[in-house]
Amino acid sequence: MTIAKVIQEAPGIKTFHLKFQDDKVRESFSFKAGQFAEYSAFGAGESTFCIASSPTRMDHIECCFRQVGKVTTALANLTEGDTIGFRGPYGNVFPIEEWEGKNLIFIGGGIALPPLRSVIWNVLDLRDKYKDISIVYGAKTVEDLVYKREIAQWEERPDVNMVKTVDPGGETDDWDGHVGFVPHVLENDFAPSPDNTVAIVCGPPIMIKFTFEALERLGFEQSQMITTLENRMKCGLGKCGRCNIGSTYVCIDGPVFRAEELAALPQEF
Amino acid sequence: MRTATIQKSDLGKAIDLLVQADLRVIAPRLQPRLEEDGPDAIDVLTLVEVKSGENHQVGEGLLPLNGVKEFLFAKHEPLFAYEKRGKKIDIIPVHHEYPRTVIVGVRPCDAASIASLNAVFSDANAGFEDPFFTRRRERTTIVTYSCTAPDASCFCTSVDLAPDSSRGSDLHFTEIGGDLIHVEVLTEAGEAIANLLESLLEGEGDQQQREKAGAAVKEKLTRIRDAAPIKDWLDNLDNFDDEMWERLGEKCIGCGSCTFLCPTCHCFDIVDENKGSKGYRVKFWDSCQFDHFTLHASGHNPRDWQYKRYRNRFNCKFKIYPEKFEQQGCVGCGRCIRGCPVNLDITEYMAEVAAKAAG
Repeated sequence: MTIAKVIQEAPGIKTFHLKFQDDKVRESFSFKAGQFAEYSAFGAGESTFCIASSPTRMDHIECCFRQVGKVTTALANLTEGDTIGFRGPYGNVFPIEEWEGKNLIFIGGGIALPPLRSVIWNVLDLRDKYKDISIVYGAKTVEDLVYKREIAQWEERPDVNMVKTVDPGGETDDWDGHVGFVPHVLENDFAPSPDNTVAIVCGPPIMIKFTFEALERLGFEQSQMITTLENRMKCGLGKCGRCNIGSTYVCIDGPVFRAEELAALPQEF
Repeated sequence: MRTATIQKSDLGKAIDLLVQADLRVIAPRLQPRLEEDGPDAIDVLTLVEVKSGENHQVGEGLLPLNGVKEFLFAKHEPLFAYEKRGKKIDIIPVHHEYPRTVIVGVRPCDAASIASLNAVFSDANAGFEDPFFTRRRERTTIVTYSCTAPDASCFCTSVDLAPDSSRGSDLHFTEIGGDLIHVEVLTEAGEAIANLLESLLEGEGDQQQREKAGAAVKEKLTRIRDAAPIKDWLDNLDNFDDEMWERLGEKCIGCGSCTFLCPTCHCFDIVDENKGSKGYRVKFWDSCQFDHFTLHASGHNPRDWQYKRYRNRFNCKFKIYPEKFEQQGCVGCGRCIRGCPVNLDITEYMAEVAAKAAG
């Protein structure tokens, strides 16, 4: 694929807009919110990220990544017009049809907004099918928030309830959001009702754990909580053996998991 | 299918016939593990390609150091080549040879492992096929040879196999005394090999004699564990945090030897091997025993202690393989016991689990 646009989201975090070089592949390609892909910088190798754009917006595909290791450094050094490798889509999807007629709360932390952003735009593009839509998103500092321009758009929309927060000490003088960790702000400042509501959570494993606990204290049942995991992967095809949690392979049985599915697995993720 | 007999002293001639039929013939041979090791290297029983029947150890010794795995699931192979041209990348297919192959003298444990590997790499697993594996598998015939002298590390009878099992075999040989070998033709691929050997085969085999010979060797196995309760015990999530894992796994140094020697371990990595503006994307054997195997970019590691990596290996063999792939994960070859530098012993785990399951 060709990099059509590069956006610096936050320090060390970039978004790529990607377009297929082959028209036939572009026409036949489809995916659903929640799926992931293997992206490669030729010469450095492949990395696993979600598809961060919505399947309702197929002009291009987006990915968003933090520069951490060898592959993501090589990717970060690419510029508009460069070629990157793409394999996918892989994995299961968010059950958005099941959510029709319900209130939705998206809860994310740091670099975990991209997987939610795909499904957020997906449901916003089908807005009539859903009731209240809320987004609770936080990062370490104001600077570290990704998709700042879209957070502003969501704040302006009357049909979205945007709750933003930064970790204590991460705020700036002109910060108009909350200050506190995501699970704390969710439980104490936002305190949503569990009635007819689904909570969609994405973040580091420790955030998922504390957020599920906060949701349970708010009266949410496990069947109302869903998350997406991103274990280290290589093949994406259930063969290379590193993303498993017990007999469950994140790449083919996930990455989307319901809370009750996670509870039935060895706690090793 | 049919049975026959062959003289053990004719095995060299048999190999010659297969080579003359333009087959790639793989057989056990005593030789340095690598040619580069030079003339002073210690000879090791190794499965290698042979060009004649002059020098082979079919039916001799016990297990070759390498199993049949490397002839089906390559240790290292390019998936494709690429070349950077400015902002564009050319993807260049890599030509792989898939010669018709016969592996002669395969021990029953190794033959049984092929179905386990196939369950992972064929499209029966999530609808995705690894064509490199399946093409090799389709073009490979397995000639097994019942064991005659299991050693103290062998435990095939604990995992539903035996020194004379023919599971996964196309053509099965069992010594039945004197110079005589009983031959069982088990598949069409095995029949094709038997036809090539027709001038060396005689009459019908005596199935009773063959069963008797197999049973006598089975008696020699000393390492016997009860694997029956293991799956149920592992299914109980409370046991995932049992004290046994840390206690027994403490000495593991994470070298990965067990996984590379194991005939059913299938984990691999994919990387780019780059030189200047071109290179290869390659797939090669990896190990769940390495600390970076599951390490996240964030620094988080789901298996952050070595004992957890060995716990995963044990679970893979006795829970994941039976549950997810409906195949056995361990074939009892004992290579992981013989090859472990710190004497970690998978059958010690098996015995502990059986004792715990019994209460």
